[in-house]
Amino acid sequence: MNSFLSLIPRFAEAILVTLEVSLLAAFIGALGGFVLNALRLRFPRWLAGSYRVYVWLVRGTPYLSQLVIVYFGLPVIGITMTAVQATIVSLAFYSAAYFAEIFRAGWASIPRGHMEAARAFGISRWAAFRSIEMPQAIAFAIPLLANQTILVIKESAVASIITVPELTMTASDIVASTYTYIAPYAMLIVCYWLLTQCIAIAARCAQAMIAPSRKTS
Amino acid sequence: MNPPDLLARCLGYLPQLLDGAITTLWLSAIAVACGFFAGIFIYMMSASKSRTLATAARAYVSIFRGTPVLAQLLVFYYVPSGLGWAIPGVVAAAVGLSMNTAAYQSQILGTGFIAIPRGQIEAAQTFNLTRRQTLWHVEIPQVLALTLPALVSEMIDIVKASAVVSVIAVTDLMRVGQQLSSVSYRPLEVYTLAACFYLAITSLLSLAGRGIERRVARRA
Amino acid sequence: MSSLPILELRAVGKSYGANRVLKGIDLAVTRGEIVSLIGPSGSGKTTALRCMNFLEAYDEGEVWIKGQLLGYRSAGRSERDRDSEKSIAEVRRPVSMVFQQFNLWPHMTVLGNVAAPLVLSKKTSRADAHKQALAALTRVGLAEKADAYPTSLSGGQQQRVGIARALAIEPEVMLLDEPTSALDPELVEEVLSVIRSLAQDGMTMVMVTHEMSFAAKISDHVVFMEAGQIVEAGPPEQIFGNTRTPRLQQFLKPWFDRSLTSVTGVA
Repeated sequence: MNSFLSLIPRFAEAILVTLEVSLLAAFIGALGGFVLNALRLRFPRWLAGSYRVYVWLVRGTPYLSQLVIVYFGLPVIGITMTAVQATIVSLAFYSAAYFAEIFRAGWASIPRGHMEAARAFGISRWAAFRSIEMPQAIAFAIPLLANQTILVIKESAVASIITVPELTMTASDIVASTYTYIAPYAMLIVCYWLLTQCIAIAARCAQAMIAPSRKTS
Repeated sequence: MNPPDLLARCLGYLPQLLDGAITTLWLSAIAVACGFFAGIFIYMMSASKSRTLATAARAYVSIFRGTPVLAQLLVFYYVPSGLGWAIPGVVAAAVGLSMNTAAYQSQILGTGFIAIPRGQIEAAQTFNLTRRQTLWHVEIPQVLALTLPALVSEMIDIVKASAVVSVIAVTDLMRVGQQLSSVSYRPLEVYTLAACFYLAITSLLSLAGRGIERRVARRA
Repeated sequence: MSSLPILELRAVGKSYGANRVLKGIDLAVTRGEIVSLIGPSGSGKTTALRCMNFLEAYDEGEVWIKGQLLGYRSAGRSERDRDSEKSIAEVRRPVSMVFQQFNLWPHMTVLGNVAAPLVLSKKTSRADAHKQALAALTRVGLAEKADAYPTSLSGGQQQRVGIARALAIEPEVMLLDEPTSALDPELVEEVLSVIRSLAQDGMTMVMVTHEMSFAAKISDHVVFMEAGQIVEAGPPEQIFGNTRTPRLQQFLKPWFDRSLTSVTGVA
């Protein structure tokens, strides 16, 4: 038990790295996904095709293969990044495709009738959007966005392969240097599990605050 | 970059990448199959009247869905060797992937089980079918038909998740890519080609899934 | 014909938590007898029927099938005293059931549905099972639908398949749980006529039903239940023609008002 607890400081640092990388990538990805989705409706035909190709490529290949292309492959054509940069860029690029699909579904889920009813009662377009469409879209999207963030955190483990000092890398380091296997990996599982649980709980709280009457799935 | 040279090099990579792809495929297939039966078992546990079993099942699902596959595989590969029992990478990979997908499949299959009207089970009971016969002849065929699209989706996820087994010394598609790129010093070509293999596999699975969906919809 | 009951309930009781649904039900069914259970919703008649093949585990009294105790090993009635699945199956083998919602298995053909209990439970060979299933389907007039799927059949046809399935295992007692309640009115008669013909062939039946005319015509014994108890029981002439129980009179009044001829006058 002692050896288990003594790992906490190093793992705490590693959690921070994992969180920094994941949350930054998720944020950029969410932003990117949002913009992509908003633009999608105004895309000319050929651009819409590229969007579908992009989604197909990103969702049809493992994240690991995308990461190694960015970190090892891009330098060949002159684009070099640090391991952390490569992770954040590739993770953002990867998650943006998923976020875009989430926003697309979120927008489609709002019943038309709500906006029409608002207009009929003389509520301005912007006010209607803010008080009717947006909360519903957000309440719908929160569990999916939280889920995607959790997925990003889990994928970040792959960055250990290019020696980003996140959780998995740290655990493997400790294992390699101390020849103990159980404590570091047990701690690894616990850390990830706590991270994902916290995000899930935070999402439930946020949803309860924004849209208390909405049923959670 | 000279197109004919490029093509020649790519063709040169093909045989080994193909070997790696085959490893990826049968590893994924084993995981899907074991995960199917394990998933049913875990679902039954979660639906059982025993509080201990139900909680254990929920804990299992929570842990395997709430942690990265890579971390799980590292545990299955290194912990036994730490306890003095060295497991080959493929075995750890197969076990780890199976247990991981079992957690997801238990949820997917569970929605199918719940959808079957209780009366059909009662009829089976009345006619003295054993619990196992009811499961196999009445429930599972319908669960499969109901959840096939979601299962195909899960299969695609397994193929993608399998890429990390390269870390525990399994010569899958990804690992072949790593080997080839370190030998050829052409990571962009090699990794892109490897990615294309994954793309081909997942796209074919997707098409198959949509085909099955259409056939099932016609039957209903 | 033996006068020993083929199916017997002695002081059977059942509770769901604090709610006592059955309170001391006594019933004896002899071979070849047709028994109808009638009564308002919530009277416990369906629960009583389901205790007869242990779909519900009764917690007081005894259910005997052909002289064997159903469901329990001994005097106790807790879960611990329950018989093994195998023994329960053995004891209830002579009993089959027809369900209100048919409960056919949608992924099997009509023939498959009828043959399945034979193949899986009675371990009949596939070929023999198919022959027997086809015979049962012919009996209910649906042999030509053998390769169809239940969803392509009307309600009346589905229920007749349900009856065929219950027939194919060659039961000695058939339990029917409101067999026509889920059917559109124009489909009721085709099912009733199948049941009538089975009754004429000597099948022992216990039927929960709301079809009063039908019950009056084919039953040997009618049981009126309310609030978990048997209020009155006797031959149809007594129940439908001559009862002095006010509650039963009240229950039957709508039916009397609708049918203009008395029971005993109809052929």
